[in-house]
Amino acid sequence: MKSRASICAALAAVVVAVGYVAFAADEPATKIKPVDYTTQIKPLLVKHCYECHAAKKPQSGFRLDTAKLASMGGDRGAAIVPGKSEKSLLYLSLLNDDDVDVTQMPFELEPLKPQEISLIKRWIDEGAKAPKDEVAADADAKSDHWAFQPVVRPTLPTVKNAAWSNQPLDRFVLARLEKEGLAPSAEADRATLIRRLSLDLRGLPPSLSEVEQFLADDQPGAYERLVDRMLASPHYGERWGRHWLDLARYADSNGFTIDGPRSIWQYRDWVIDAVNDGKPFDKFTIEQIAGDLLPAARRDQLVATGFHRNTLINQEGGTDPEQFRVDAVVDRLETTGSVFLGLTIGCARCHEHKFDPISQREFYEMYAFLNGTQDVKSIQPIIPLPTPAQETRQKQLRADIASTGKILKTHDAKIAVGQAKWETEIATVVAPKWVMLDAIEFKSKANATINEFDDRSLIVGGNGNIPANDTYTVTVDVPVEKVVAVRLEVLTNSGLPKNGPGLADNGNFVLTEFSATVTAMQASGAATEPLKFSKTAADWSQDGFPAAHAIDDNAQTGWAINVAKGQGSANVDREAIFVLQQPLEKAVGTKLTFSLKHESKSAKYLIGRFRLSVTSELSAGHVVPAGVAASVVVPTGKRTPGQKAVLKASYSGTDETRQPLVKKLNALKKSERELTQIIPTTMIMREVKKPRESFVMIRGDFLRKGAVVQPKIPALFPQLPKDVENPGRLDLARWLVSKENPLTPRVTVNRYWQMFFGTGLVETENDFGTQGTAPSHPLLLDWLASEFVASGWDSKGLHRRIVTSATYRQSSRVSPELQEKDSGNRLLARQSRIRLEAEAIRDVCLSSSGLLSQKLGGPGVYPPQPTGINLLTQVSKAWPESKGDDRYRRGMYVYFWRSNPYPFLPTFDAPRANNTCTRRARSNTPLQALTLANDHSFFELAQGLATRILTDGPDDDSGRLLYAFRVCLSREPSEQEFAVLTQFIAQQRKRFESAEKDATQVAPAIRPEGISAAEAAAWTAAARVFLNLDEFITRE
Amino acid sequence: MNTEQQTLRDITRRHFFAGCGVNFGALGLASLMSDGNLFAADSKADDRKTNPLFPRDGHFPGKAKRVIYMFMAGGPSHLELFDYKPKLQELDGQVIPPSYVENKRFAFLKKDAKLLGTRRKFGKHGESGAEISELLPNISKHADDIAIVRSMKTEVFNHGPAKMFTNTGSPRFGRPSMGAWTTYGIGSESQNLPGFVVMHSGPRGPRGGTPLWGSGFLPTTYQGVPFLNGADPILNLSSPKGIGSQQQGEFVDAVSQLNALRLKQVGDAEISTRIAAYEMAYRMQTSAPELMNLAGETKETLDLYGVDPAKPSFARNCLLARRLVEKGTRFVQMYHTDWDHHGNPGTNLDKPLEDRCREVDRPAAALLQDLKQRGLLEDTLVIWGGEFGRTPQGEPRDTAGRDHHIDAYSMWMAGGGIKGGTTVGETDELGYYTVKDQVHVHDFQATVLHLLGLDHLQLTYRFQGRDFRLTDVAGNVVKKLLA
Repeated sequence: MKSRASICAALAAVVVAVGYVAFAADEPATKIKPVDYTTQIKPLLVKHCYECHAAKKPQSGFRLDTAKLASMGGDRGAAIVPGKSEKSLLYLSLLNDDDVDVTQMPFELEPLKPQEISLIKRWIDEGAKAPKDEVAADADAKSDHWAFQPVVRPTLPTVKNAAWSNQPLDRFVLARLEKEGLAPSAEADRATLIRRLSLDLRGLPPSLSEVEQFLADDQPGAYERLVDRMLASPHYGERWGRHWLDLARYADSNGFTIDGPRSIWQYRDWVIDAVNDGKPFDKFTIEQIAGDLLPAARRDQLVATGFHRNTLINQEGGTDPEQFRVDAVVDRLETTGSVFLGLTIGCARCHEHKFDPISQREFYEMYAFLNGTQDVKSIQPIIPLPTPAQETRQKQLRADIASTGKILKTHDAKIAVGQAKWETEIATVVAPKWVMLDAIEFKSKANATINEFDDRSLIVGGNGNIPANDTYTVTVDVPVEKVVAVRLEVLTNSGLPKNGPGLADNGNFVLTEFSATVTAMQASGAATEPLKFSKTAADWSQDGFPAAHAIDDNAQTGWAINVAKGQGSANVDREAIFVLQQPLEKAVGTKLTFSLKHESKSAKYLIGRFRLSVTSELSAGHVVPAGVAASVVVPTGKRTPGQKAVLKASYSGTDETRQPLVKKLNALKKSERELTQIIPTTMIMREVKKPRESFVMIRGDFLRKGAVVQPKIPALFPQLPKDVENPGRLDLARWLVSKENPLTPRVTVNRYWQMFFGTGLVETENDFGTQGTAPSHPLLLDWLASEFVASGWDSKGLHRRIVTSATYRQSSRVSPELQEKDSGNRLLARQSRIRLEAEAIRDVCLSSSGLLSQKLGGPGVYPPQPTGINLLTQVSKAWPESKGDDRYRRGMYVYFWRSNPYPFLPTFDAPRANNTCTRRARSNTPLQALTLANDHSFFELAQGLATRILTDGPDDDSGRLLYAFRVCLSREPSEQEFAVLTQFIAQQRKRFESAEKDATQVAPAIRPEGISAAEAAAWTAAARVFLNLDEFITRE
Repeated sequence: MNTEQQTLRDITRRHFFAGCGVNFGALGLASLMSDGNLFAADSKADDRKTNPLFPRDGHFPGKAKRVIYMFMAGGPSHLELFDYKPKLQELDGQVIPPSYVENKRFAFLKKDAKLLGTRRKFGKHGESGAEISELLPNISKHADDIAIVRSMKTEVFNHGPAKMFTNTGSPRFGRPSMGAWTTYGIGSESQNLPGFVVMHSGPRGPRGGTPLWGSGFLPTTYQGVPFLNGADPILNLSSPKGIGSQQQGEFVDAVSQLNALRLKQVGDAEISTRIAAYEMAYRMQTSAPELMNLAGETKETLDLYGVDPAKPSFARNCLLARRLVEKGTRFVQMYHTDWDHHGNPGTNLDKPLEDRCREVDRPAAALLQDLKQRGLLEDTLVIWGGEFGRTPQGEPRDTAGRDHHIDAYSMWMAGGGIKGGTTVGETDELGYYTVKDQVHVHDFQATVLHLLGLDHLQLTYRFQGRDFRLTDVAGNVVKKLLA
């Protein structure tokens, strides 16, 4: 870097000197005529600026090779404002001025002479005139880097040992081996082959009968038939779907520190189905990138766009939504680059890099394709995904709600006529004389504090602890001779939420039951009898929560007082009147005990302040609560919305035919709500109606907007078809899998190869750029890529070709010779041993234990996890431990919290889904050992395996051991292995026989019939050894 | 000797068993039990291939062999603790001059917020006369041991991203943490305990969660292992119920014997790594509970820290940190949460700040003293600090509080090559911007690595086409901090 700069400086010095001479000679002329662009300005630009600002990789996207381009400017926008040098970046950047937001130009070189700078200033001030026909030097954007060249299908190389090949691809491998003087390894034995195939294609070990069937099939084509069976298995979609989910950074939560839950598992299931259905990779791609933009997009195509909705959402307070929206779009672009193009294009986000194939401006031009989606740091947009039955039911419910609502509306219109008459009637009713009751005893069932105010009202709470439900009991001495009705006032207070009168956050409550008993002192002692209420009236009842519901003996219903829009405030005093069926006579001397039950399903819906009164007289016909009386005396025109609502509601309340209608409507609404809640939703992509403008972001900072850019494919690549106007996300999607694009097929087949051999033909599977490694077998890579495209992007077909090749079927044994010559196995003279992925480790354990649930798809599950997991996260994560079969689902279905994944998964290198993962690490750590050896979940599986051995295996030790070997490793043990385990079993049995308590703890809770605890425990110990073997968690 | 035999020799002594047929019997377990440190006894046979945590030299000899990092999660106020500003007192209650807040973003503050003078008294301490708040009387006694940095500067003002930035050099997820880079660089001296241990005290976990001590794109071997406050300090550390220590040994023995046989068969060196991993796991099952058992500590020591052995606390974590580094753990990080003093009830600069200081002051000072008297301080780097500082402006909330501030804050370091009794850097008269010797987070990171003998420019890992560093593309070692 340094040496280059100094060479440049030296060159510049020469240029400056020459320029200055030329300039000096021209000076007299400039005094009389305007500056001439061609003879005076362009030579300066050529000399000082072209090095960095001409056709080939212009810095900051800024080209100066024509006056027009210079005017247009680069990433920071227009560089020349004709007539205004003080606003022209071209001029300003030449000055040594701290106020200008650009380093003085030329960068790190000698500045221009003052005379030269003033010449440029004058040219701009004179209008920056230049010939119109100036032609730009054409950029040679093409690269000679191998990965960017078209895929050309190579001819098959000739090999000496032609008989070795099963597939054309073998010829390429063999040719290379022969060149290196190496022979391929022998084919692996059949037991290894079937386990390898099963793990690679299904992520599960083969069953006992599958192994038997394969070993017994001595007809030609046995292996190919096995491959076909495995490819047809639905587990194939799970295994290869999971691989794709790594790329898609799929998870069930939003990430960052709050990391709330999200519902997008339908996308996961879409992937599994697409893989199983053999959806061609081009369609697979287009639907995921832009399924929403396809003509008449189907539901499943919308679900597919979940691919790019797997970005993180920061829910932390005090953050700028635009910042995180931009981050999400950048992540989508980076992911698209890694997954399809095998390019780390994210590096160009902040500034140019010498070796990057694309410039910063091109980065934002690609960004522009993805910049038009609706989501802004949000779960939305989402779509509900009802089953057909749910959809029908939902439609029916909605229709019923509409029709019932209509009936109610008609009903209300009809009764409105009677309201006026009723109002005049009640206006004359004399208000009853209420006598307030003095509580002699009051208590809360949930031990809330109750205090009495001087006005005889009682206030509940005060210590901040509000129970979910409560029942208040209040006992009073009756102060009057006769009681015909009881009044319950619910009152506001500044200490209550929103001033109350209830304790719910909005000041509401639900009084589910109001009852009273009377206690009279008789000679024989106290006699207590319940009182019956026949009628109620309230000055306000929330729709669906009439006061009558407080005396209906039903804890599910009650009186509440919330308001809808336009009905005034909910947080005002209200009252309900309860009329006794039989007046209570001779009441003085008796005690009344009231019970106020609050048993709503909604927590804290309790009355906060209330007062009880009784009256001895009611005027016949009408019970008029105070609120109604107060409203009716206000002249019609002057009533507040609240008063109008009170009157309307109170009048409707007298109408007994209305209540059933309301009840029906509420029940329908409730059913509809409940149904909607259980219908799963999934996050999808949607385009905004008015496209967003995209800018170059200076140094990657979203607040520093540079030049406006349009969606465009980088110059280096084949371009979009000529007829595409206003290109968008769908055009990008189609371009990714267009036949001109050489990268997508190369990158994809290389990743497949990596899955089958541990390493790709290009080792840097996510960097096919100039900084990546060259392919080990370039012709093989191109043969596979061309075959992939020619087959109609048939991934399953390609997998079939690979696994039926002789190359794949080799033994993975590392001979000393190969260890020495090719320890990394780049030449493919053998197969590789590959430790299974995290999910597959769980799956082989489940499968061998016989407990595996075969269920496909569905919401995430919660197998048992060690305690203490949540101690270290900011917001603790729900983990409702699954019961039954869901405990034994495959690893890929375990609910994935990004900030705190099920610990087993990251321990075995499952990606954390914060960004795309094109290759998993394969570490080998003590924490893995602790997990497999001690984790409760795995121990449960060891017990399952022991049960299986003891139930399904033979009755003797050696028979059982052979059986365990076949189940777990699909093979027979060696003599030494057999001896180690025989000795171990004997040792463990002896130990457990003398330690009964230990034996019971270790043995499965339900033992097979006739098996002692010690025996079952010994076999559990042995099963545990199997689950911990290196071979068990390795594909050989 | 051929390669295969070589591979076999390179595992553990257990290769004898594989070589000698099937007569292991008592030998395996007995030797396993009696030998606390298999690798030390046979160190030539081990290398990074089979044990990625094997200790190794850095780029140059470092003065620090290990790190204890007290992470004050939430962002302690430099203005209440280490950076006294008389001018701020003077302007208390006035609107901040607009020149300070132009083009600034805050998490919660408005631009016309009023300045808030501290209510805390400061004193000069030690021979160096370091100015420290009355809230930290015990740390003040160590004024000549510690180096205070008053000119810290970070770039991100939300908790999660800012903690990520301090720990990994990037606000985004997916980069390795400082402890992971350290063990990746120089391994760990303990083969019985994890090389990078994380502990936590306070009401909830730190925002940012496990990625704060994650290994990012480095192998998981290097990630921090959280020590939990529950019965098992490490997840799955206890053997299943009904399986005693001896039986667990027999189990590990059987697994290793069978693995060794497979190794002989297929020649894959990964198997030898797995055998080593099981043996270390088994040793951890004994050594981690031993570590947590404070019965052997004297009453004086417990009192010094203020530890109740039965109760999880920052004090207990400090004592455990000392025990860990004594046993050779390379990097210990302790999070103490709830320093986010915005000014709400429970999170303000009054009692809550006093409580946090009281919880931390005595144990941190005790740790310095304890390390010193054991001769460990000179090669143990002790770090104290949060993810950012707090604004000179107060927040208009119920009680006194300040918003997140990234332009200036304070940290201190001690031991392990740090020049004690120094104060580096200065802020302006309001404590708003740094005006002298700014120490950017990347400079801090470069300095920590330097003290460990690692050159932050050379400690790289290639991922997604780029050589990544802890210090991203910046960072200079702060020479003024070096002894």
